[in-house]
Amino acid sequence: MNAHTPPARLAAGQPTSEGGMELLLWILVWSELAVFGAFLVSFLILGLLDPPALARLHGALDLPLAGAATAVLLTSGFFAARAALGSPPRWNLVAAALGGFGFVVLKLVAYSHEIPTIAAVESRLVELYFLITGFHLAHVLFVAVIMLAIAWRPTPRRTGTIAVIWHAIDLVWLLILPVIYLG
Amino acid sequence: MSSPRDLPLPLVLGALLLATGLGLIASMLLAPLPRGLAIAVLSLIKAALLVIGFMRLQQESRALAGALIGYAALLCALAGLRIALAA
Repeated sequence: MNAHTPPARLAAGQPTSEGGMELLLWILVWSELAVFGAFLVSFLILGLLDPPALARLHGALDLPLAGAATAVLLTSGFFAARAALGSPPRWNLVAAALGGFGFVVLKLVAYSHEIPTIAAVESRLVELYFLITGFHLAHVLFVAVIMLAIAWRPTPRRTGTIAVIWHAIDLVWLLILPVIYLG
Repeated sequence: MSSPRDLPLPLVLGALLLATGLGLIASMLLAPLPRGLAIAVLSLIKAALLVIGFMRLQQESRALAGALIGYAALLCALAGLRIALAA
């Protein structure tokens, strides 16, 4: 909260200063990173404690589809970056959101291949796999919908904010990939 | 908003896709020890490209950009170590 914010503005319930909103944004981003980081470290430790379960999980994962989903998400991040860095935001945000929906479709197709095999593996690793990737998937879907809403009436501040969140979600996926898929 | 020193966005995207492809190839072809090292390095390169090339966070705060890359480096190193220990 800015110390110079006039009391009348606060009393009227007007938005906090831009600096305050930016602080809230970064608190959100680091909260997400901390939560996913804790999950990923747990996955690494469980993988070390139970190598047979990890091997069976890896055997069931659809690596080419994960690679395709990564390419789609990174391309979507490219359009979000274009929107935030000065290109006309509307269609770049729509393209970024469509990339997000494409990622969701690819991940659901991957789940449909993986679930029959993974269901036979009795391990906490399987639960963590679905928790981490499912939680990330929910983030992608939710933020892609918000991105479409912002594309309806984009402003530089909204576009910049949603692009930061989108890149944070991309970053989380780039950390999920080596921990879960590439082992 | 852009400066001449910024990496062009299509170049960043191309490098990210290339690093992704190389990571997948490394995971399928290499022995555990080099695989762990290759995947950790490639993953860190991707994270750094995202922060520097797409977010351009270093223009607003070098400390914040460094913290994000450092955080990614820690997780990439742990992932690489786990893969290498599978030998």
